[in-house]
Amino acid sequence: MNKIELLAPAKDLAKAKIAIRYGADAVYVGGKFYSLRSRASNFGLAELKEIAAFAKQYHARVYVTVNIVFHDSDYYGIKEYLKYLEHIGIDAVIISSLALIPIVRREAPGLECHISTQLSSLNSEAVWALRRFGADRIVLGREASMNQIEAIASKVSVPLEVFIHGGMCSNYSGRCVLSNRMTLRDANRGGCAHSCRWKYRLYDKNELVSDPTCLLSMSSKDLRASAYVERMIRCGVASLKIEGRMKSEYYIGQVVKTYRRMIDEIYEQGSLDPERLAYYDDELSKAENRPADDGFLSGECDSSKHLYGVNGAGVTHDYVAYVKGFDAVRNMAQIEVKNVFACGDEIEVFGPEIDNKRFTVQLLFDDSWNEVKLANKPTQILYVRMPFVTGEGDMFRKVRRNDD
Amino acid sequence: MELLVTLRKKSLLEKVTPSVDGVIIGRVFTSGYHYTLEEIRDISTYCHENYLKCYIAMDNFISEDDLETLDAYLAFLRELDISGIYFHDLGVMERAIPYGLLPKLIYDGKTVLCNSLDTAFMLKQGIGSAVISRELTLSEVRHIIQNNSGRVDMQIFGHLRLSYSRRKFLTNYFKQIGKEYDYLNKETLKLVEEKRDYALPIVEDDQGTMIYSDYIFEMVRELVEFRKDLRAGIIETLFMEDENLIVQICRDFSRLTIENKEFIRNNLIYNHPDNYATGFLYQKTNINKDE
Repeated sequence: MNKIELLAPAKDLAKAKIAIRYGADAVYVGGKFYSLRSRASNFGLAELKEIAAFAKQYHARVYVTVNIVFHDSDYYGIKEYLKYLEHIGIDAVIISSLALIPIVRREAPGLECHISTQLSSLNSEAVWALRRFGADRIVLGREASMNQIEAIASKVSVPLEVFIHGGMCSNYSGRCVLSNRMTLRDANRGGCAHSCRWKYRLYDKNELVSDPTCLLSMSSKDLRASAYVERMIRCGVASLKIEGRMKSEYYIGQVVKTYRRMIDEIYEQGSLDPERLAYYDDELSKAENRPADDGFLSGECDSSKHLYGVNGAGVTHDYVAYVKGFDAVRNMAQIEVKNVFACGDEIEVFGPEIDNKRFTVQLLFDDSWNEVKLANKPTQILYVRMPFVTGEGDMFRKVRRNDD
Repeated sequence: MELLVTLRKKSLLEKVTPSVDGVIIGRVFTSGYHYTLEEIRDISTYCHENYLKCYIAMDNFISEDDLETLDAYLAFLRELDISGIYFHDLGVMERAIPYGLLPKLIYDGKTVLCNSLDTAFMLKQGIGSAVISRELTLSEVRHIIQNNSGRVDMQIFGHLRLSYSRRKFLTNYFKQIGKEYDYLNKETLKLVEEKRDYALPIVEDDQGTMIYSDYIFEMVRELVEFRKDLRAGIIETLFMEDENLIVQICRDFSRLTIENKEFIRNNLIYNHPDNYATGFLYQKTNINKDE
């Protein structure tokens, strides 16, 4: 049996490379056209080519989202685009327009067709229908429970992909056009204004029945399915998907690395005990800035799985720097500042090859070798004396104190 | 074009019979309707006796746990010899094949059938027709219908479904604020966003929560152009309490001509001053924030 795939999002080239370096088996990215998340930076043709080549070095796969709900005018240029994706070595397209399946088969047969969660496939019969249409993989809807996922997996032979982490639409994916009505931005063509996260008064005829101090919101907590990874592996799910094409490099690195290690440990040890699961949950919480739960995996979503007036989750760590290189002679790391930190702060370093090693910042220099006490200019390049080896792609995070 | 009306109240059946070609009904399993199997049988029988078509709505998603119930329902519908089934979940299509119901299926993806290629793709699977999405401009509607003539259905009147969730927004909200309230299946509740004044009808039932447009969509003037190429036009009556108005609307659509379209539309708007709009027919949505 193939090892389960860890699939990560990336909104640009740098983040895609981080996802792969931190352990993703595959990344999914959007092009400039045909893709939801229009506010993500998204990839131009040259960048798609570069990430395809980069991924090959790591034996990773690249999927391109072509997942808008197409209107007739949106198909302009699609054949050439698909041919190009095949030519540069992209592995699959993630689609919601079923008419694209025969077009891909005819124009770019080297591409797999993965059916987007936009189609909310929630039962084995829907999966079979999509298989019959020619789909190579189905992304299940996030409304399926773990028991239902197991039942579906036991009845179908087509590879299944399941979301395990990140934001969730509060409505069925693809079946919400609130944004269209409220803002004239097309939710299903990349313009979603997240109207579900706004606050609403509730009236019964003309009588106000909502609580003025706590208005109604449809906003859901994010998904965190760490407790279900083992069951997903056992029932034969093909791919575990992380949501978040709008997320930062820090988020991508931390979440990917945590799930990478968790999956590997399950394969190596055969199981994950509660202590280890708690450890991985703690690691995931370092990246989150919204409350998370297990969504529909455990059954219905009651009020505890909604957000009413709360947006933050109590961030425990701040991402403060990205490591650009390491001088082994001087024991100096070259870093790019991301957030404020200072000499005397305790920093935790993590990366593809390094696990949460801590040190206290003693010496900081700018690129003219002037000593710096406070790193407070984002993107500034600084040098920091290290008590241990670090490397390009590692990240620094500051542990928040109670008074921060 | 068949003129169809969603029959939300059984009491309307006889009243709309002279004006429409068929009715759409359903049960809470797989739809927002609340008829029992016996009521469905009764309505179907009445329709057969009165040369009225009887369609079944299955416009919700189906979980893996519900496939057996779906089987029994499909067997029941085959026995009734219903005119067609509006389906939302592709699993219904797959399951309907062994029952010989495929040609009677009509795909209603609500928000996801926005182009002529996808429409043609679905029709190629052997189903009878497909309902195009409501978020389309007039030229987009025209293009899809021209390319799939005679096999396209369209909502021509009524509130538009804007969102559909498995989450029980009202149950959860009232629990959150600790308030006892009779909200289930209630059609009088409306959401008003903090900074906007749209009043969006919201309904929660056993299947989840649906939110609808604040306005009543109408395409009285535009329908005349499309009528000959549409398989069916659907009058949605959800949230309409006035039975006389529903009967009047059915009657108006049944006698709609090029000559009287302005008169009928004006009559509707002036005599029944609800919030009417042509939806997205003349209002293009943008792909991103900056457009």
